[in-house]
Amino acid sequence: MSTNDTEDDRTLRDRVAENPRPAAVWLAGFAVLILLELGRFADGATNLGIIAELGVAAVVGTAKLIGGNVGSTVADPLGPVVFALTLVLILAGLAGIIRSLIPFSPTKTLDLDVPDARRVLVDRVLVTAALAGLTALLMLTPVGDAVDTGVAAIISGLDAASNLPTITSRELIPNQGHRLPEGGWEGTFLGLSPAVAWFIRVCVVYGYAFLLLYWFWRGYLTYRDHYREADWAPIDDTTNRLRGHPWGQAGLVIVIMFVVMAVWAPALGPVTAEENLYQPYQNEHTYLNDNGELETSAHGTLNIQTRSNGDSNVGPFSYDQYDRWAPFGTNSDGKDLFTFLMYGARTSLVIGLLATGLSAGFALALAMVTAYYRGLVDLVAVIGSDSIQSVPFILLVLLLFVVFREADHPIVSLYDGGILLALILAFTYWPALWRSIRGPSLQIAQAEWIDAAKSFGQRPSVTMRKHMAPYVVIYIIIYASLVLGTIVITTAALSFLGLGINPPTPEWGRMIAEGRSFISTKSWHVATIPGILIVFVVTGFNAFGDALRDAMDVQADVGGEGGGGGA
Amino acid sequence: MSQDAIHPETDVETAGSPEEDVMVEVRNLKTYYGGDKPGPFGGRPVRAVDGVTFDIRRGETLGLVGESGCGKTTLGRTLIQLENATDGTIRFDGTDITTLNGYELKQWRRNAQMVFQDPDSSLNDRMTVGEIVREPLDVHEWGTPRERRQRVRDLLDTVGLQREHYYRYPHQFSGGQRQRIGIARTLALEPEFIVLDEPVSALDVSVQAEVINLLEELQDDFGLTYLFIAHDLSVVRHICDRVAVMYLGNIMELGPTEELFSDPANPYTHSLLSAIPEPDPTSDAERITLHGTPPNPRYPPDGCPFSTRCPARIRPPGYDDLDDEVWQAITTLEEILRERMRADRSIKDRVRGMLGLETRYSTIDEIYDEAFGDVRVPSRIEPTLDDVAEHVSANNESDALEVLKEEFSGACQKQKPEYYTVSNSGRRSYCHRHDPEYRSPEQTLDDRHR
Repeated sequence: MSTNDTEDDRTLRDRVAENPRPAAVWLAGFAVLILLELGRFADGATNLGIIAELGVAAVVGTAKLIGGNVGSTVADPLGPVVFALTLVLILAGLAGIIRSLIPFSPTKTLDLDVPDARRVLVDRVLVTAALAGLTALLMLTPVGDAVDTGVAAIISGLDAASNLPTITSRELIPNQGHRLPEGGWEGTFLGLSPAVAWFIRVCVVYGYAFLLLYWFWRGYLTYRDHYREADWAPIDDTTNRLRGHPWGQAGLVIVIMFVVMAVWAPALGPVTAEENLYQPYQNEHTYLNDNGELETSAHGTLNIQTRSNGDSNVGPFSYDQYDRWAPFGTNSDGKDLFTFLMYGARTSLVIGLLATGLSAGFALALAMVTAYYRGLVDLVAVIGSDSIQSVPFILLVLLLFVVFREADHPIVSLYDGGILLALILAFTYWPALWRSIRGPSLQIAQAEWIDAAKSFGQRPSVTMRKHMAPYVVIYIIIYASLVLGTIVITTAALSFLGLGINPPTPEWGRMIAEGRSFISTKSWHVATIPGILIVFVVTGFNAFGDALRDAMDVQADVGGEGGGGGA
Repeated sequence: MSQDAIHPETDVETAGSPEEDVMVEVRNLKTYYGGDKPGPFGGRPVRAVDGVTFDIRRGETLGLVGESGCGKTTLGRTLIQLENATDGTIRFDGTDITTLNGYELKQWRRNAQMVFQDPDSSLNDRMTVGEIVREPLDVHEWGTPRERRQRVRDLLDTVGLQREHYYRYPHQFSGGQRQRIGIARTLALEPEFIVLDEPVSALDVSVQAEVINLLEELQDDFGLTYLFIAHDLSVVRHICDRVAVMYLGNIMELGPTEELFSDPANPYTHSLLSAIPEPDPTSDAERITLHGTPPNPRYPPDGCPFSTRCPARIRPPGYDDLDDEVWQAITTLEEILRERMRADRSIKDRVRGMLGLETRYSTIDEIYDEAFGDVRVPSRIEPTLDDVAEHVSANNESDALEVLKEEFSGACQKQKPEYYTVSNSGRRSYCHRHDPEYRSPEQTLDDRHR
């Protein structure tokens, strides 16, 4: 390489332009994969949009609430003023984050003559002003309406896209049909039996999911081999070690299968959730009765005859008497157990990810602050976490749950109590996570490169993020993967006790509770299958966490610790 | 040799002509650890730096030598404000930097940087070399991002690495190369003053010379001022213009390197230099071996900091003829008693002691055994020792120490010495023996050790 400017300093785009082939191949494959499932991705995008809208609504709503409160207590004209002020304050808070993200300094760009000491402040004011201007433009002028129209157009476009057939959809490979009097099946994929059609769909779903993940991995490899400037990075060692870890790979496969279960739950079940769980009496099923005639009645009515409660039974891998395919049999209500479990995986995953994410994020942030400043902050955190940990865990969870439920807090209604449960679990799990990374954090805070960063005036927040967090985040990932398994168990245990997730939202633990009295009967499967699934998933998470620990072994990467020598 | 007393607090001009271009003026600087909080968690502070005064001239290399734990790294860290000074001032081109904070401190930091001792620990292994060297530029928003990358490559060139190393990770480099990366980072903001904290002591001997030469070249090219902290005296002799010798938070002697090495004035410098192996086998110079360990910096001696180990200590008039061995034994005894006094005695120990049971504390007989061994104790001092034994048996160590001090202390233990200018070049030494009243350190050492 020459010392020439342009040679030295190539952006990723330059590098891709030089050697476009691998990137093009990868992108083409990726586009095909996306197109195959465009409908589902459009659906996901719409959901993300809804979440973003909720975020904006929360900002404006908070400002409105405060403005309204002040307006009603003090004087009417004051309300809108306070509303505007609060909004500006919230925007100012956001401005700090935005300023640190934009690559240039607005003051410098605008050529304002500001002393260096004030520049950061002026930058923030400028960003706030820009945000406030934008907000005012949207709220007070026709521009807002135009944007609304634009958003509506995008949403309708997404809606249209989400109606496109996807390769994993029930419509493409239907499995709900009925037997014909003259033999054969009506309404199923290619006239195959419902069991085979269902099996094909499951295979397609898992095939697609694994292909997609493999393609992402390929993408990373393409980047690494063709476009990355560094010919070696610490992460290469990690991935290499992970490649030679069969136990961890098995764990990863189980984890992926679990996640796919949650994500593609609507496509995996032999019946839809509406028919099966939520509105069995509003949805009908057509079947060939004993007299050789086609008959139609509501699922709910049929379910009464297909219960697995020890007396009557529909076991795993069998049809019920109405020719409905039940891969895992039915439960004690006569509903399809497989569909219940797929949606139950979704519940467990949402609760698990939310609780783990919140507690791990908080633990990491707190560990950075306590390790960097030590002293009083650390002491307060120790006392706080010890106080939470000293309360018996189940008791604490029950207490919080009952308090919120009795107070009829709006949060209880979200996800039938699932969100509340996730928050409570996050609250009870952060002390353990924080404790487990406190040691490594304190150790890394002693590294000399922290002193070096201090010596050229790096801000503490950046030091924590760049110089400390990358070393501690490894530990938190490992512990979080273990905690995620624990949370799946805990959620199930609480549902087993009749707490946590209310019906009809499906949850694995509740099914175990429901089926436990039939264990010794021919309906053993009702409690056993969800139990086995829980064991598999938790073992999978633990194995994967184990592999991560081996692969990211910090001791192998980080050199000796300790502050400066001498004095 | 002129021996004019100089009072550190009042007249601080250390050396030579006033037109010397002084960059850093350090006055009576103290850095204590702990003990600053009142209440149950406070306590006696560790006096890492206990009142030092010196100047660093623009463009020179000032060496700072001393045993491990003598406070030299703390002094270096205080100079670039990684530690807060407890007392005293550091004037950097006239600005007292101990009072800076916030934005002003951040701006000042561009002027003073540090090269760390251990290249394994001073570079963040998860960042590329380019990111590491660029970070100071990013912090101070130097130029455009493109200019920063360009400058980083130039810097890599400057310190003898390759421009393509930008995207490598520190793992891929040897110790010497890693230290070069650290030096490149230090140079990024074009500082005028650099603290080199034992920059080569963690490196292979073969690489040390290369790094030292690099540092000398950089000093010439960029007009840098160095504070070179080291315990390797030969390196110091090679690179430094002047040398400060530190012991227990104090500067014992400060002067031009060659002069200090060839004709040391302070007894501590004598003993430090006598630790350098003599390549001449016919040399008859006897080594001065220091006994014991440096005192706990939490409890420094009342008088001269070196008085507990000094080979040229001033002895009280009545006992001038005592054997060296006896003096050694008395010093050991004092040390043991002082340790005993500081040890926290648990309730259990107290009760056992009162009941006459065995405690984990040794009896006075054992102490005497340890201190005196088979040294023949002159009958003159026996009454004093009996007195001491009595106090110790009553668990009253402070009285015992008082008795010892009363009887055996000379000027060194009783009061702090002053700085004496000991040569025309303005070399200063911190020792009572430069007072014309006493024999000079050289003579004394000659008498006692040759």
